[in-house]
Amino acid sequence: MKMEMLFSGIGGQGVMALGESICAAAIKAGYEVTFVPFYGSEKRGGRTMCNIVIADQMESPIVAKPSIMLIMDERSLEDYQDTIAKDGTLIINTNLVGIEPSCECAKIVKLPFYDMAEQVGTVKSANMVAMGAVAQLLPMIKYEDLAGEVEAYFSKKPKLIPANLEALRIGYETEF
Amino acid sequence: MEKRVFMEGNEAMAEAAIRAGCKLFFGYPITPATEVLEYYARAMAERPEEEIMVVQAETELAAFSMVAGAAASGNRAMTATSGPGFSLGQESMSFMSAAEIPAVVVDSMRPGPGDGEILPAQGDYFQAVKGGGHGDYNTLVLAPYSIQEMCDLIQEAFVLAEKYCNPVVMLVDSTLSKMREAVALPGYTEVPDPDSKPNALRGCGKEESHHIITSGDGAVQWGEYNDMLQEKFKKMRENEVRYESYEVEDADIVMVAYGSMARVCQSAMRMAREKGIKAGMIRPISLWPFPKEAIAAVGDKKILVCELSAGQMVEDVQLSVKDRDNVYFHGKLGGATPTADDILSKIEEVIGA
Amino acid sequence: MKTVYEKPAVFKEAVTNYCAGCGHGIVSKLIAELIDEMDLQEKGIMVWPVGCSVLSDRYFKMDTFVAMHGRAPATATGIKRARPDKLVMVYQGDGDLVSEGMAEIMHAAIRGEKLSIVFINNAIFGMTGGQMAATTLIGQTASTAPLGRKTETSGYPMRMAETLATMPGVSYSARCTINTPARIRECKKMIKKIYEMQMSDQHGLCFLEILSPCPTGWNTTPVNALDWIDEKMVETYPLGLFKDEESE
Repeated sequence: MKMEMLFSGIGGQGVMALGESICAAAIKAGYEVTFVPFYGSEKRGGRTMCNIVIADQMESPIVAKPSIMLIMDERSLEDYQDTIAKDGTLIINTNLVGIEPSCECAKIVKLPFYDMAEQVGTVKSANMVAMGAVAQLLPMIKYEDLAGEVEAYFSKKPKLIPANLEALRIGYETEF
Repeated sequence: MEKRVFMEGNEAMAEAAIRAGCKLFFGYPITPATEVLEYYARAMAERPEEEIMVVQAETELAAFSMVAGAAASGNRAMTATSGPGFSLGQESMSFMSAAEIPAVVVDSMRPGPGDGEILPAQGDYFQAVKGGGHGDYNTLVLAPYSIQEMCDLIQEAFVLAEKYCNPVVMLVDSTLSKMREAVALPGYTEVPDPDSKPNALRGCGKEESHHIITSGDGAVQWGEYNDMLQEKFKKMRENEVRYESYEVEDADIVMVAYGSMARVCQSAMRMAREKGIKAGMIRPISLWPFPKEAIAAVGDKKILVCELSAGQMVEDVQLSVKDRDNVYFHGKLGGATPTADDILSKIEEVIGA
Repeated sequence: MKTVYEKPAVFKEAVTNYCAGCGHGIVSKLIAELIDEMDLQEKGIMVWPVGCSVLSDRYFKMDTFVAMHGRAPATATGIKRARPDKLVMVYQGDGDLVSEGMAEIMHAAIRGEKLSIVFINNAIFGMTGGQMAATTLIGQTASTAPLGRKTETSGYPMRMAETLATMPGVSYSARCTINTPARIRECKKMIKKIYEMQMSDQHGLCFLEILSPCPTGWNTTPVNALDWIDEKMVETYPLGLFKDEESE
């Protein structure tokens, strides 16, 4: 089994935190996991993108054809959509992506992650909603482990945990 | 060995080095090696009982000299830098080899020339392996391809540096430094007493004094000194070749790659086999000494060398085999890494050729 | 017959290679006497520069590191951080400290490294044959300033002792010379002071600049060189104590 994923957004959206949490949960499930971050050179508002590979054995950490691609902003769509696997799923944050995807893939999911996050009170939780959505495509990862990662991530600010767990659940239960 | 943790390459390697008794770290911030310095600085602050000592030097020039001073005093010491910093350190590499100082130097490669990009590359091969400093010297060059290997080899690096009284270079790249994967962190190792090292500066008292000096005393003396060093390098050549072989026996095409490029080639190899192509790989782990015999033993199979460069290791591969026309090259410059699909296409092209 | 003076015990059996009238020989002897008197063979580790005094490593039965050109303060930092209980004794000339090693000395001072640095200022590059140094006087001739140093092209003499004295990481900074017996005795006291201050572990960088004769580099005789220090050097490089934490 080899699952390649690419998540991309702008600095500050929490794309890396999202990726790391998924990796941690995948490791708990017993897989070989690699995570490679890519940054733009701007200190603020620059590119943040990560390559994640979940597999049974050690593989190339550089993703060739991601079967899951999460796009949080428009420039990311322009930059990466052509690399998606033909049988892959593209998930787009419609709040920041105004253009139509032009790539060929099995499924395109459009969700307004910022609006959905407003339900728990803050757009900062948009990455947690997105993580929940992505988790639907990762049956090998246990939801409880992902929730555990959210708790661990906010362990120094426990007041934020409930809202973010709720955001995760919203993303996980939304139908597409 | 502990259970595995999901850690960044730089940080895991730093932890492994601390556990190998390397308490002294001197460095200058440079992407993609900065996290090693920062990890050490945090460890110094948070784990006072381990007596870790970190100096953020004013320049890489100074950092290399600090490492030389500390290592000359019998203590394990290291620095971690990238191409531009490693270039600054070349006089030091020559000096430390001449002075028989057992320092460990990590170079996390990024694309050059110049300041280039903060992405992976393998363009420092010539500099590290052939020696970018002046004069006749060699250093062991180790090239891990996973975070686990980075941890295991950094611990060995100190032992090897002390065994041969010579600097050891660990050559990684931005991908290995910045990526995260599961690693079983190695434990704390035995560390020799600093005073037990042969030429360590410790305050000689009435005993024979110890001198670190690299200027000679006429052609005869300096010639003999060089002969002594060359003997040492010869032993390193004989004893320290490391590599790993993957499905070479029945292969029609053998890839040669190291570091993160070897990870990509490994995936490509599996994909090729699934398509019925008999692909294998030799992965040098020591770039100096280069595993020339292992590569020569490949016989008349086609060889595909893959590097994140314009072609540096490929020259050593060509030197290792008789039929250089059977050596193909696939390289990438600028910081992008070929995907396993790219390599697979190249394998198919070479096989068809 | 009574022995009134002996060669210091720490000296090896060797004849120094210095020119007649060179200041290195005098200062080396003072340091050697102090090593004997203060029993520093086990306590001390010496760091030498690249320059004429690179040869000094041959004369001392001490653990020594002859550093790369300019890097002595960085190398010494490595040694002192690794072995903080040792007395790290640094010795540099003006090519080494002021030119090649300007960043290293400044940052050792910035960090307040616990080092004792003896700086030999002879206003010239000796070992490589008499080129202009950053410490060369205005109008002084050198192989790379045949008509004398001009400020328009080569700036002004660098006063290290005063500059370092302004920095909080520096605990002691002074300038002396060795062209009379009285001054030689005074110089020895000051070298002893910078060693004692390091050993007390209470202070940062301790720095002593010594104006030193270089008859070969100045193209003059040994005796005239001693006079030249008073006639020409002291005006640009005044003798004195610029900072002493212990007397504040």
